[in-house]
Amino acid sequence: MMSNSNYKFDWNVIEKYWPEILKGLIITIQISLAGMAFSILLGICLANGKLSNNLLIVRISSSITELFRSIPLFVLLFWIYYGFSLKFNFALTEFEAGVLALGITGGAYMAEVFRAGLLAVPIGQLEAAYAIGLSKMQSSMFIIFPQAIRIIIPPMVNIYIGLLKGATIVSVIGVSDMIYVARYVSLETFAPFELYSLVGIIFISLTLSISGFVYLLERKLGRSKVDG
Amino acid sequence: MGNSKSFFEFEAVVSSWDILLKGFAVAMFAATLATALAIILGLVVALMRLSTVAIYRWIAFAFTQFFRGVPLYVLLVWVYFGLAIAVNINLSAILAGVVTLALLNAGYLSETFRSGILAIDSGQIEAGLALGLSKQVVFKEIVLPQAFRIVIPPMGNQYVDAIKDSAILSIIGVPELMRESQQLANLYYQPFEFYTCAGLLYLIAVVLVSRGTNKLEKRFYTHSAQN
Repeated sequence: MMSNSNYKFDWNVIEKYWPEILKGLIITIQISLAGMAFSILLGICLANGKLSNNLLIVRISSSITELFRSIPLFVLLFWIYYGFSLKFNFALTEFEAGVLALGITGGAYMAEVFRAGLLAVPIGQLEAAYAIGLSKMQSSMFIIFPQAIRIIIPPMVNIYIGLLKGATIVSVIGVSDMIYVARYVSLETFAPFELYSLVGIIFISLTLSISGFVYLLERKLGRSKVDG
Repeated sequence: MGNSKSFFEFEAVVSSWDILLKGFAVAMFAATLATALAIILGLVVALMRLSTVAIYRWIAFAFTQFFRGVPLYVLLVWVYFGLAIAVNINLSAILAGVVTLALLNAGYLSETFRSGILAIDSGQIEAGLALGLSKQVVFKEIVLPQAFRIVIPPMGNQYVDAIKDSAILSIIGVPELMRESQQLANLYYQPFEFYTCAGLLYLIAVVLVSRGTNKLEKRFYTHSAQN
């Protein structure tokens, strides 16, 4: 099958263009990190809303979480960048739209992680903190949070991997990330196979090293300590 | 500019309803077929990972790691614009899309199936063997039915993910819901209305599948309780 192909493999393009591809990678990482920061903020708000005593706030937070989890990232991105910004005359750069879409999707997943983490800390810990005279603020900051973070970190990094993978689609609205650069360069060189292979390899090594890191982290933090 | 009319104009969405529904059907078809293929492939990979033959385990491990690590968009572009051109094969967009989606989901499902099978108490297997059943029969009649019940919720989640991810197939020109929405949004210059409608349709599909999964899970639990 290879023989009747006119395609000429030219791996030199990688040597020539890898700095530009790497520049694209940095943009992907930037957008995913900014999206992650947004996710954490949104996740904390939604998780606290879900754990609230007010039934109305619980309902609203749960509905928002469900809604954001159900809309595909791709649709959300188009809705924000083309739909929302045009309708409400709200000028957004491609980068900002990407961060918003990633942040909203990630935030909905983070909400569950935060909620589970906070609930996993035994109630006796809080009671003990009150009993020794710590304020509400102090007990959540110094007693609950340090214990919850052990449970939260591994799934949080997994969500980050998801956002990093999701961040690849922002090139469709014109962010000059890795795929955008690869497409642009392959129009010049006509070597799409080599360039997209490079992008794929970079991505896989990135996600695999992060998930390897999570694996080690999970073993080190060990849930057993919190479970008692 | 458009203030002479009402703020939201959904006439265009309503009049293109049949196109949108057709796109929705294509999206659901792609996601469903991809999930079905992924279940079969995922089960094969899971069994390979649990095999006693080391080479099978290694292949299965590499498969899982690869397809869980690569983003759908990257793989799709690589297959459709890279691989197909390089080896000169004529790949239809829908085929490339479904196969890519199936491979990625198989990577995730194989891990789900593996943990589902491992979750079955070893006493069950020992009891089956003690009764004189063969290894194959024990696996097919005792392990798999119980493991199936465990993996229903994650399988439902994977189906939901496939539905959501199918929107990305629009970039290679599969005429699914998002592709049609993009074209109609450009035609009528009403992106807000069309993308809102697309979002709602995906939302409905996702909610229905989640409900269905919950029902299925409950039914399996009551069945086993009756036995």
